[in-house]
Amino acid sequence: MKFIVQRDKLIASVQDVMKAISARTAIPILTGMKIEAKKNGLLLTGSNSDISIESHIPVEEEGIVHIEQIEEGSIVLQARYFPEIVRKLPEKTVEVEADANLNVTIRSGKAEFNLNGQDADEYPQLPKLQTDESFELPIDLLKNLIKQTVFAVSTMETRPILTGVNLKLEDNKLSFTATDSHRLASREIPMDSTNVSFSSVVVPGKSLNELSKILDDSEETVEISVTNNQILFRTKHLNFLSRLLDGNYPETSRLIPDQSKTVIHIKTKELLNTIDRASLLAKEDRNNVVKLTTKSNQIVEITGNSPEVGRVVEEVNVDSIQGEELKISFSSKYMLDALKAIEYDEVKIDFTGAMRPFIIRPANNDPILQLILPVRTY
Amino acid sequence: MQTFSEIAEIQPLASRIITNSIQKSRVSHAYLLQGERGTGKEAIALLIAKRVFCEQPDGVEPCNHCTNCKRILSGNHPDVHIIEPDGQSIKKEQIEYLQKEFTYSGVESSQKVYIVKNADTLTVNAANRILKFLEEPSKQTTAIMLTDNSQSIIPTVRSRCQVIDLQPLSSDRFQEQLLHAGMSQAHARLMSALTNNVEEALHWNEGEWFAEARKVMIQLIEIVTSKPNDVFLFIHHNWLTHFSERNQQEQGLDLLLLAFKDILYYHLDYKDAMVVFEEQDEKLKQAALTFSPEKLLSILQAILEAKQKLKQNIHPTLVMEQLTLHIQR
Repeated sequence: MKFIVQRDKLIASVQDVMKAISARTAIPILTGMKIEAKKNGLLLTGSNSDISIESHIPVEEEGIVHIEQIEEGSIVLQARYFPEIVRKLPEKTVEVEADANLNVTIRSGKAEFNLNGQDADEYPQLPKLQTDESFELPIDLLKNLIKQTVFAVSTMETRPILTGVNLKLEDNKLSFTATDSHRLASREIPMDSTNVSFSSVVVPGKSLNELSKILDDSEETVEISVTNNQILFRTKHLNFLSRLLDGNYPETSRLIPDQSKTVIHIKTKELLNTIDRASLLAKEDRNNVVKLTTKSNQIVEITGNSPEVGRVVEEVNVDSIQGEELKISFSSKYMLDALKAIEYDEVKIDFTGAMRPFIIRPANNDPILQLILPVRTY
Repeated sequence: MQTFSEIAEIQPLASRIITNSIQKSRVSHAYLLQGERGTGKEAIALLIAKRVFCEQPDGVEPCNHCTNCKRILSGNHPDVHIIEPDGQSIKKEQIEYLQKEFTYSGVESSQKVYIVKNADTLTVNAANRILKFLEEPSKQTTAIMLTDNSQSIIPTVRSRCQVIDLQPLSSDRFQEQLLHAGMSQAHARLMSALTNNVEEALHWNEGEWFAEARKVMIQLIEIVTSKPNDVFLFIHHNWLTHFSERNQQEQGLDLLLLAFKDILYYHLDYKDAMVVFEEQDEKLKQAALTFSPEKLLSILQAILEAKQKLKQNIHPTLVMEQLTLHIQR
């Protein structure tokens, strides 16, 4: 294998790929980075077996040549040393050459490194991508979908399936759902231009967080395809693969009440700030409980109370209250998370009694849905 | 040992059970391989893993040269997880890693194999955590637990596995291996009576401790037969100082047991079976004159009891004194 590549291109690619590589892995080969030279360019791969990132450097782009003198082949290099070496090389181009004995020579200007490589056959084989089974999404929309749901995944390993976000693409609707069994966040978007469908895949929350960090805002769309074991997010130069969670995701649609006894319309920002203030005196070891009480004349009262510390009462003006009077307690943390996820100025909250879950939606019926279970207090 | 036919030479029964289940594609979801050290547990476990993932299997045998087979051998296959004790026992983090691994789909295929080495070192808590996954294995998962000491596996784990007993290596075959490794005939015989792990035997054979131990043991028999009054002094000055650790004490008793067995064999004219003494040894003749066969039987009994007492944490000095009293009586 041999190639000469522009150093800044290589650095950028290596940095992307390094995000997937961790120093502690169960499989020794994964401490390395796979470099594959092909006629049409270079492919760098890094993986920690949960997520894998592939970065592609094309031979030329818009008339600018990035790679020269390609001899095809592949090698695995120690990720502890290779990125540092590339970063500190003196010249603008880097020459990498590997011989049959897995010895790698890296040359730039007068500097020459000899590294011991590993056999690329030892590296895990990532699933081949099937472009016909994929659909496209704008990157900012995908990031939004992730942001609005992923915070609600469970952090406890007792029910591992809940540590993931459930993705569903049916009847031209793509939905993201996450729950930790105390709250639920979901969002649906229409997908008109695709005939792909899958009933339920569960992507680990951690992987989605990583994905939204690595996706570049400057690019426009991301192509998503699902195989049996992995999900692939593909942009122009980057392939992001994540393993899926194994198991059946609980049926969440039945949890969502379709009737309501009390409906409140309120400005998001005002409610958010009030609850934030009330939570100051809500103790963490007691679920940060705050209490909401409806008053007449379009006013609700939010109280936070810890007997040892003190008490806070604040009244908020609401746009409208319909239905029965209500006293309900809930976790302020969940409420804050939910309100922050809804990026609209006005929300509509549907209550079905003090002991039943309530739903927060944007007032304009955009299908973002946040469901929170109340806390029993006396 | 790279193929089941090679395994079949040492473990005919186990090999047949496994190859049959592969042929009928009825590979169990969990195996418990139990057998002493050197009986080929790991080789069998790796073979099963290779056969599960092999791209071009030849009947029941894996090909051993496709990328999957190669990666399993080098420990780089992403869907084969090997857990070994980190220090004394299998730690909680290792089980947590495994638990996480269970909840994810496979990396390359939907198959998964995990191998737990020295499964007896699982703490009770860790074993109970694994239990959940033995109970409800996700699709196409094969667990292989390996252990030397089958009695320390908790019954709830054992009952969820297909148990495969590996027979101890035959001592003839073991001696051959030792001779092949360059050990003398006499030593090879003694070693094969004491262990069935080739490396351990070679290690003992090279070290000074074992040679000295053998000398001390023979001296003890000599003193018992010729100068019975000095025997306590000898125990205190030589025996207890040389056999200071618990496992050394047990080994000393093992050696003593073999020596007295030899004396008994001499009486019975069953000279092929002797492992410690040569046939023409003067000391052996002397000892045979001193001890009658009935006496030897009771001594052998006493040595076995002494071993038992050591296990029960009785003070080694007292155990040895009592034993020598018994031998003298």
